Amino acid sequence: MFLAQLKNELWKLFGKKRTYIGFGAFLLAQTAMLMAFRYTRWQSDFEKLLNGNGYLAAEFISVLTVSVVMLIPQIMLLMPLYATLVGGDLVAKEAEDGTLRMILSRPISRVRLLFVKWSAGIIFAFLLVLALGLTAMGFASLLFPWKGMFVFAPGQAFSVLTAHEGLVRFCFSTLFMAVNASVMVSVAFMFSCFNMKPAAATILALSFLFVSMVMENIPFFNRYENWFVTHHFKCWLLIFLNPVPWTEICQSEIVLFAMSATAFLIGAMAFQVRDIKS
Amino acid sequence: MIQLTNVIKKFAGRLAVDDLSFTVPRGEIFGLLGHNGAGKSTAIGMMLGQVWPTSGEVKVCGHDVQTNRRAALMKVGAIFETPVFYDYLSGARNLEILSTYTAPTSPARIREVVEWVGLTGREQSKVRTYSHGMRSRLALAQALLPKPELLILDEPSDGLDPEGIHEMRQTIIRLQRELGLTIMLSSHLLNEVEQLCTRIAVLQKGKKVFEGNVADVKAELGKVALKTADFAGATKLLLERGLITATAMEKFITLAAGRTTAEITQTLVAAGIAVDGIWQHEQTVEDFYLGLINRQREEKK
Repeated sequence: MFLAQLKNELWKLFGKKRTYIGFGAFLLAQTAMLMAFRYTRWQSDFEKLLNGNGYLAAEFISVLTVSVVMLIPQIMLLMPLYATLVGGDLVAKEAEDGTLRMILSRPISRVRLLFVKWSAGIIFAFLLVLALGLTAMGFASLLFPWKGMFVFAPGQAFSVLTAHEGLVRFCFSTLFMAVNASVMVSVAFMFSCFNMKPAAATILALSFLFVSMVMENIPFFNRYENWFVTHHFKCWLLIFLNPVPWTEICQSEIVLFAMSATAFLIGAMAFQVRDIKS
Repeated sequence: MIQLTNVIKKFAGRLAVDDLSFTVPRGEIFGLLGHNGAGKSTAIGMMLGQVWPTSGEVKVCGHDVQTNRRAALMKVGAIFETPVFYDYLSGARNLEILSTYTAPTSPARIREVVEWVGLTGREQSKVRTYSHGMRSRLALAQALLPKPELLILDEPSDGLDPEGIHEMRQTIIRLQRELGLTIMLSSHLLNEVEQLCTRIAVLQKGKKVFEGNVADVKAELGKVALKTADFAGATKLLLERGLITATAMEKFITLAAGRTTAEITQTLVAAGIAVDGIWQHEQTVEDFYLGLINRQREEKK
């Protein structure tokens, strides 16, 4: 029964046009980034940087390098916006439309209903990031060759990898991005469980992420960086470091899983005691 | 099928339902009447486990809704005032989605229900293309999917045109007659309640101010309409002779216990007062409701 409910929740999610509008926005942004990299000074500046560091630029301006370049602004801007938009809709939109009242006239427990919706949100987040990663590579492969990888990495100016190693790290990176997206969905979902409009849930979730990011970057808070969720989002770039800081990555991923679970629990508690009225 | 015992519901300190108690036995069509904000929808919300009572007990199908919601709602269907669905999906897909929240439902059962409500041929169309009447039928279909024994209808005719209201009324009668369902109906369409319900409860500002049979309301025993040129003289005589106990609106008399309209006619004719007409007055639920609400208001003043 849970699988049937989950399947139907995904039907609802993927039956909406706005779901595809979001994917469309990502595709447009990716195309724009690709064109900008290829046909502006961006690529030549990049090549100068590589040559200046003793690398042969032609060996590293590749599908994987360009894919990461294309993904950075999307992960920073579009993904939080889109993930929180979908997460904020999951419960609040149904409450606003009135379909939630119809569902809750049936003998399904509120916690189970929320778990189904949250699971659908998480699946959506993973599919979204998977699509992002695949399309980034797909678009980049149209204009660039399959060679070594060059990537800017936090705490280390840059990282240089072979094509094979680069692909493996890119896959891990996509997985960690999906975890980030699922946390964003979960936070918005938590707000969505309270008695508020879907837009309010989205704005609150975005504000939470924004405040976390701003505070994390204030020098005074450096010693508290582990307390900021956006600090743990950096795993998707840390994976490109040499050597890979697995301990740090594992710690961050555990924090992110715990964050998702906590958001779900808070949302479920708020929803459980809430009166659902038309 | 439904039992509310001393139910109180407060929203942020405001009393929405005040010590409400009533019982709806199996097979009955029970009407919940009241003005907007009287607490009808809140009461229904509590029956469906959507609104938590502040105190009191709500039992549906013999199970406490708060502690055993799943068992309580297993054989319950519900329709709300404005039928809302996932407009971007087909009617059939909507039914499939909603059925999974109760129990596994076979495609054959979905087809059967679609046919019962008269949506065959349109079930694969997107709901956004449906008229209001078709949405109402789809709402009925989703309520019937779990083979309910109890149907809870919250303002089911709201927003329907006269033809739609008639159709909905006929459907409710058919549901009770053919499927033997117990029906709980909230409405402010008094004519609808009069034609459908066997028993009613009237809510005012969250408090129950009346509960009784519709037949009793309509008969209002003892009240008789008297048509005569000299109403004042006639009633004076009848009061003197102890045949009536009260008069109202220069039109109605209340017979004393054991007296009949024939005796009244005989007495008046014998006294030389012409009687143009005399009949047992049958008031409408609307007359009753308005009278009741006005009396309550005056008492409060």
